[in-house]
Amino acid sequence: MIFKFFFLKEMKKFPFFFLLLFFTLFLGTMGLMGISIITGQVHEKLQSNANQLLTSDIAVSARRDLFDTELKSLEEVFKNHPHKTYKIIDIYSMITHLRAKASRLVEIRATQEGFPFYGELKTSEGAFQSDKLYISKDLADLWQVETHDELQIGDITMKVSGVVLDDSSMGLRGFSLAPRIYMPEARLVETGLLKPGATGSFTYHFKLENFSAAKPQDIKKEIYAVIKDSAIRITLPEDSSEQTGRVINVLTNFMALSALIGLILSLVGVFYLYQSHLLARLKDLCLLNLHGLTKNKIILGIIGQFAFVFSLVMALEFFVIVPLYRQFAPELSSVLGLELSRDVNLAASLSQIPYLFALSLFILVPLLLGLMRTSMGLQLKASKLSLGRFRFWDFLPFIVSLWLFSCYISHSFKTGNLFFFALMLVFFMSTLFVRASQWLLKKIIKGKGLLLPTIENGIALRGLARSGHKLTLSFLSLAIGSTLISLILQLDTMISKEFTLDSEKPSLFIFDIQEEQMDPLLEHAKKEGVNLSYVTPMIRARLEKVNDKQFVRKKRSYNFRDREDDEERRFRSNSLNLTYRDYLTGTERIISGEPFPEGGAPDDRLPYVSLENRWAQRMDIQIGDKLTFDVQGVEFEAMVRNIKEIKWTSFYPNFFVTIEPGMIDAAPKTFLAVLPSGPAETKLNFQRTTVERFPNISFIDVEELIGKLSSLFVRARGAIEIISWLSLIVGMVILYGLSHDQVYRRYYDLALMKTLGFSALRLRLNLIYEFGALFFSAMSMGLFLGWMIAQVIGREAFKLSPSVDWGRLFYPALFLTVLCLATILLSSWRAVKARPRELLSDS
Amino acid sequence: MMKVLNLKKSYGQGDARFEVLKGINLEILKGETLALIGKSGSGKSTLLSLLAGLDRPDSGEIMVQDKSITSMSESELTYFRAHHMGIVFQQFHLVSTLNALENVLLPLELLKRENALKEAQELLESVGLGHRTHHLPSEMSGGECQRVAIARALAIKPSILFADEPSGNLDEETGDKVMELLFNMVSTTGTTLVLVTHDQDLARKCSRIIHLEHGSLL
Repeated sequence: MIFKFFFLKEMKKFPFFFLLLFFTLFLGTMGLMGISIITGQVHEKLQSNANQLLTSDIAVSARRDLFDTELKSLEEVFKNHPHKTYKIIDIYSMITHLRAKASRLVEIRATQEGFPFYGELKTSEGAFQSDKLYISKDLADLWQVETHDELQIGDITMKVSGVVLDDSSMGLRGFSLAPRIYMPEARLVETGLLKPGATGSFTYHFKLENFSAAKPQDIKKEIYAVIKDSAIRITLPEDSSEQTGRVINVLTNFMALSALIGLILSLVGVFYLYQSHLLARLKDLCLLNLHGLTKNKIILGIIGQFAFVFSLVMALEFFVIVPLYRQFAPELSSVLGLELSRDVNLAASLSQIPYLFALSLFILVPLLLGLMRTSMGLQLKASKLSLGRFRFWDFLPFIVSLWLFSCYISHSFKTGNLFFFALMLVFFMSTLFVRASQWLLKKIIKGKGLLLPTIENGIALRGLARSGHKLTLSFLSLAIGSTLISLILQLDTMISKEFTLDSEKPSLFIFDIQEEQMDPLLEHAKKEGVNLSYVTPMIRARLEKVNDKQFVRKKRSYNFRDREDDEERRFRSNSLNLTYRDYLTGTERIISGEPFPEGGAPDDRLPYVSLENRWAQRMDIQIGDKLTFDVQGVEFEAMVRNIKEIKWTSFYPNFFVTIEPGMIDAAPKTFLAVLPSGPAETKLNFQRTTVERFPNISFIDVEELIGKLSSLFVRARGAIEIISWLSLIVGMVILYGLSHDQVYRRYYDLALMKTLGFSALRLRLNLIYEFGALFFSAMSMGLFLGWMIAQVIGREAFKLSPSVDWGRLFYPALFLTVLCLATILLSSWRAVKARPRELLSDS
Repeated sequence: MMKVLNLKKSYGQGDARFEVLKGINLEILKGETLALIGKSGSGKSTLLSLLAGLDRPDSGEIMVQDKSITSMSESELTYFRAHHMGIVFQQFHLVSTLNALENVLLPLELLKRENALKEAQELLESVGLGHRTHHLPSEMSGGECQRVAIARALAIKPSILFADEPSGNLDEETGDKVMELLFNMVSTTGTTLVLVTHDQDLARKCSRIIHLEHGSLL
């Protein structure tokens, strides 16, 4: 009986409703399903390639070479585990192509015999040999380097033996800072680049002979037990793939949030569709109840019907998305810089379906509970049918699941919470606005005739003032839709702006300047006609104690890890670079505490220290805490004076920790500096002559880097835009549904007004006034709130600078309002033109 | 007052076409109260919808005060209806977002009558609803809603009033009261009334009764 009524009869009788429900759900869930397939493929790829990415079973690394005592400890640990080993040094440095007389920053990977244990490097000259020099393909293309060309690397010159065509140890090609070259480790020492303070990492790789899955974990624990220094990092293949995946995760998480917007919009539509449908079917449902079908069974039938449509949606999605993914896999691989397989593993996507179904079903809970509360017998006697009223609690299952889902798909409590609370803000602001407006309108129309100043307007105002919760619901749906649309547009603007070169950004970022090179370099710069600015000392140090208690690396014990945990883990190393200065750069801002007093630290008090806010939070350090640092075996103490915020994307020398001058000025250090923006030729000339004279000094071409980030962003934005457009299309479908529903509810009012003498023009004017006011206020509020939320999310989650794009606020509001009004007018066309004989008793 | 000449109307298409009115000829005099009775499906509401200009006939002509409403354009018809005709529906059909006073005010303001507010107030008092002026339709009983609808229909002082089963949705006692009010107001104002009903007793209160069966007058 239930099956016959809810599945066969209903779907046959209301094909338009089910078709609309199907497409609303289809469009809403497609984005998330698509992203889950992509992330599943990425993770599978990274996991299956984990050994190749790391090139070994275990890697022990540090930003300095391991001390003899540490090497002995390692030997002790590995004594019982037969193994092979090699050492890799990664260092960033400038190199010069002698034939082209061009210099640039590269990542030098110095390897030993045996590299790589896993994976392979295909070169233009055959098999990779660790005693030769190879360059990456992008560098070869950039410089037109040929085999046997000579490169100046620090103090030595080497001949290129070949070009690396395929490198299985490169995780994400597109995300590397500089092209990579391979050279023998033994010759790296000869280059003179390994000076104290040089930026590099030293890694000892181990390949176990009797490998078992659990063994590396045990060995990791053993190493941590004997080497306590938190500067030492032990990496297993899974850590390596996780690290590589992090970059992609940030991108896919953002895309997933955009897709969630689409889903929420579609769920608003589902709610509306079901509300209208249930109201239209209420009489029949009441009759079924009258003849013995219990309310529980009716509700079960509705859930079953929804589940059936949802299953059809999921089935079609796989039929559409899987071939689409296969088609676009090469482009996706190019965007992500990771070779993705075209064979889709559906496990990851399938696991998401129950969550999606639960979230979608929970939006119907208020309607189902309303139905439960409806007195079905009385409904049959009533002149007008109505569902039971909703209560706030009815929406709780949906609200809670939406919050959990937001955190789950963004992999970040912070971003998830921000997203969720932003939605709640829209909800409360919209409700408040509607209630306040209705109160005000009631005051305005009280005791007045219908001419305000025209009759169409007077009726429109009364419609708005007296629509009660229906108006709130319409306003809310429209406001949420436009908020989300605005959020996407504004975040896009902010990210684009961040990756744009402007006159405030420097031209070159210069690092690895040895202390004794500073004065000659400044003189050299003067001679070249440029002035270096922001010359900043950099000292390597370790945080030893906080308030006289030894600083220990804390480990979290639970399994669920979000993005903040990952960041915290990275932050929680006690090794750091710090500087000393008593002023703030233009890219720093004190957010609590006092600035350093002028004149440096006197002898009768501890020197002050200024900390970056996120670093301070993760280290759990407050203003007034006493910190003990170790600089090359010498300890010194400092008192936290203020917490500051740093705009890292400025490309100026900035540090997590700044000490008041006076105490550590004499410590061993290197220097950083920037070349302010200027003519490109001056920059190239200065860079070339400096590398010739000071081979160890490195440069980051900020323009080139921003260009690279921009092109990466443009590619990533392409993917995000697809998701955003999908959300927009869902929004449009929903808005059409809402508009249509509004007209449907007014059908008899329109017919009646026509019999009373309203012309078609007047009826349309009435609709334009009423819905125009509703749409424009909801759109404006939504777009403004979207802008506000984008500023907060951009700042808190993505560290973006605030910005406003008036065009992207005004035009969408106008466009969406006009679109909705056009929809209203189109939807009402038949009602306005119809002959109102339907009002009569036998019609 | 009103002349109907060979009026025909059918619905459906092809073989399924159904002739509802089969050439009706009728004359309604000024100030007359006419009851139109017949079984369900006899075509009485269809005839009313054509007489009130709510629908168009397939053929034939309807003359009201020597003007043919069948040849009027949609906007002319709307204008004519607003000035000369009142309609009372079985389902009351009040605008849900307007209160009782505003519903009565609606046709008066449309015609830009001076003192519209005062007139509407007086009309509501005359139907015994002076105390319910600011109540919305959802806050009133069926009988009260129908009284508001009668006040609204008579507000423009129409030359002809059409009533489609006005007591059909009310209980017997309330229905009787509403009909008594309707007849009193029609006789006081001298308005012509065309009443569609099933109720023979009610029909007998009219000055003339015509029977409709299978689309033809008996």
